[in-house]
Amino acid sequence: MKKILIAISLFLSLNFAQAQDLVKKIPSNAFTVATIKGDNVFKLMFVKDFNESFVGKKLLTETSKSLDKNFTSIEDFGINLEKNMYYFNQLSDSITYNCFLIPIKDAKKFESLIENKEKKFTQQGDIRTMVLPDSTSIIKWNNNMLYFVTGSIKGSFFADSVKSARYGIKDIRFQNNYDDVAIADSSVVVTDSTYTTTAEPMVEVVEAPIIEKAKVQKKSTTKKKVKKAVGTKKTGKKKPAKKSKKAAKIDSDFEEPREQEFAIDTAAAMTPVNGLVDEQYDAYQQERAEQDAKKKRLAFTWMTAQADQIFNGTYESIETNKSYSASLDNKAIAELWVSSLQDVYNSIAPEFGTYGKAGLMKGYGSLNAKLFMDNKSFRISTGLELAQEQADAYKKIMNRKLNKKFLNYVNSEKALGFMSYSIDTKAYLEEFPKLMKQTYGSFLGGKMEEEIDLGTELFGLLLDEEAVSKVIKGDALFVINGLKTKEVTYTTYEYDDDYNQKEVTKTKNETLPDFLFMFSSEDTRLINKLIKYGIHKNMVTVENNIYKIQEKKSPIDIYFMIKDGIVFFGNSLSEMQSISNNQYNKKINKLHKDLLRKNNFSFLFNAKNLVGKVPDSEIGGEETAKKFNSTLEKMGNVYMKSNPIKGRLVSADISAEIPNGHENALKYLFSLIENAAK
Amino acid sequence: MNLKQFYKLLLFIILIPILSSCFEVIEEISIKNNGTGDVILTINLSQSKTKVASVMLLDSVQGYKVPSKQKIQQELNEAVAYLRKSEGISNVKSTSDFNNYIATISFSFKDVSNINNITKNILAQQKIKATNTSSYTYNKATKTFSRKYQAIGTAKTEFNKLKAKDKAVFNGATYTSIYRFESPVTSSNNPVSNMSKSKKAVMLKSSIMDLINGKINVSNTIQLSK
Repeated sequence: MKKILIAISLFLSLNFAQAQDLVKKIPSNAFTVATIKGDNVFKLMFVKDFNESFVGKKLLTETSKSLDKNFTSIEDFGINLEKNMYYFNQLSDSITYNCFLIPIKDAKKFESLIENKEKKFTQQGDIRTMVLPDSTSIIKWNNNMLYFVTGSIKGSFFADSVKSARYGIKDIRFQNNYDDVAIADSSVVVTDSTYTTTAEPMVEVVEAPIIEKAKVQKKSTTKKKVKKAVGTKKTGKKKPAKKSKKAAKIDSDFEEPREQEFAIDTAAAMTPVNGLVDEQYDAYQQERAEQDAKKKRLAFTWMTAQADQIFNGTYESIETNKSYSASLDNKAIAELWVSSLQDVYNSIAPEFGTYGKAGLMKGYGSLNAKLFMDNKSFRISTGLELAQEQADAYKKIMNRKLNKKFLNYVNSEKALGFMSYSIDTKAYLEEFPKLMKQTYGSFLGGKMEEEIDLGTELFGLLLDEEAVSKVIKGDALFVINGLKTKEVTYTTYEYDDDYNQKEVTKTKNETLPDFLFMFSSEDTRLINKLIKYGIHKNMVTVENNIYKIQEKKSPIDIYFMIKDGIVFFGNSLSEMQSISNNQYNKKINKLHKDLLRKNNFSFLFNAKNLVGKVPDSEIGGEETAKKFNSTLEKMGNVYMKSNPIKGRLVSADISAEIPNGHENALKYLFSLIENAAK
Repeated sequence: MNLKQFYKLLLFIILIPILSSCFEVIEEISIKNNGTGDVILTINLSQSKTKVASVMLLDSVQGYKVPSKQKIQQELNEAVAYLRKSEGISNVKSTSDFNNYIATISFSFKDVSNINNITKNILAQQKIKATNTSSYTYNKATKTFSRKYQAIGTAKTEFNKLKAKDKAVFNGATYTSIYRFESPVTSSNNPVSNMSKSKKAVMLKSSIMDLINGKINVSNTIQLSK
């Protein structure tokens, strides 16, 4: 009994150890964290099903082939599929780490996967380490987890000689100043093309006086260089480089080596020059390679330390980051979180030059995206954290619901799609200048602050926000309530018995979508005035309160009218008439109603209502039509909506329903991939 | 969204049923016994006028720039100017109807061979590679009219490179050629061609797709009664 208890407790503790999520290993200063939630994925699709799927088979056979092994299940890779896999990166001014944390179930299996004759790993305790060829990445693992890190040094950091000197690294640049004059004066030119280590970053201007000086000073050294270079082709390469310190500070950018080659070609006749340039270039290359190697070694040292820290160190994990932990959702299949854009832009400002410093991202916090799949749909949910000020402004702007009456003009049985938005025009007009100032004020570096202030004031003065918001309240709906066939005439030719041409007019049916656009207006006086003006100028005609726009260029007729504080636009006269007579056939379903009522922004496309509605002849033949229709049939509703602002978080969802007959979205996705590959 | 953007969105929706359009290309040649004659070329897009009108309001469609009305008119004028300078060509006229989208060019020739290469040169002027070589001859002595047509092999391969939805533009497009003579026709060797009741005209109708794919060859030798 005791033994059993011990066994159970052991088992539990083991389980507990295993159950520890690798998120604890992600440092709190990670910039991006991406997660694939193994347990949620394999809830939708058993490992067995995955192995037997097209994608699974492909993966297994391909890896088997490339590693010369025989895998029958993805479990053979030794990865713990029931736990979360992570990717994260860490940014600093000098290095970027890209890291993966993968849960391990069977380290032996994993080792057999990576090990072969050339690749060996070292072991210390239960931690095994493998350095990938070229020392650019490190893999470290124990029985529970695997850590992969690859680091890349930032060029901008080492462009700062003060910083790079700390690590014994020099910033090497090949420099020359071939301009037209210089080429003409070929023997002198070469003296100018020499290497330099600049104490100052990038001085692109090659000024004439400097060239002059160089000409005079360097004539003798050039000859020496030639001698040395020729004599010590293999060993003496470092010397010219050292000399370079004395050289004029003339910089060249990255492309210059190529120009150099080109210049050599054009100056092919001047052989001594040629040889010297080649020498110098070789030496430059060597020097550069040396410095690169130094940087690489430094990166490797940093990476090793970082990897050790992940395995052995204790540090605050990302879990303590409120923004990160708030972004999580148990049901998501995959998650992505990017830490505060503002902070990061500020911390890595040199990379982005003045834009970063100016705080273009001011007011924007963390970003997150989540992918959900269930038995009904795919859904991607995205969120962006705003600064309190901005969030408050948006809250004011979003404080409006879509006009309830709009719902009377949606026919869900026929609607192909709709798009709606509702904002508070008054709040928008009031907040807009402030938001602009926030974004662009800092962008312009404070220099224009006064001007912006002035502009803001002026904007408020010129516009009577209240009055405008009465004319255009800020909510609108665009809906396509199906298709309609319209008879159109066209010209063609007929031929008599003698093939004499006769022009005839025939008619044919064309399918056009019936659209309806509406927006609310409390004060229609201005619009009425506009209409009067239009009628006066013969741009508008009227019949029973329905106006028609007279525009010859337009291939469709556009009607509009005002009714119950709503301005309607549409291309179907019958639809307009039924609205006018209160006979509109209202048939809105719950999904459509919710989408429209509950969100400030919504978009929906219902492909099914389009199936078979477009005549084959208009799609381009029967065959194309068949393909077209079968594609549409496979699509469920696709819709997008904005969610209400929660705290400081604005978010939006995109959903795509899966067609009937599929167990869940993941399996449906796999079947789509399989079909596409066939 | 301003009004222009809104309008574009609308047009885009109208264009959803893909750009398959019907258009006609008609070539009429009347030849007198002495070898002189007239040509009328017609392009009629009237069956697709809704779509064409929509397309004309856009800047570009499926990645192709849409020419403006002015641009089309200008190119038509250039073609006319070119014809006027061409040897043996006279009486050049053109019409354009931008309500129904029909354009014609007509002219007279001294000898039917004058029109050889004209199409090619006009196309070349507009930087369009000719997709076929076509030549007309009329032998006054034997009273034989012949048209030699050779689809250039690359035309088909070039065409096949187009995206399916671009190809669809040519679905339903037709090509008609009518040759009229003063004397009755005794034989016309192209099996697809038809002779009129009076036997003084020969007509050939084909879909443009068949021409591109080489399914139909419009070469013909027509013998007139002596």
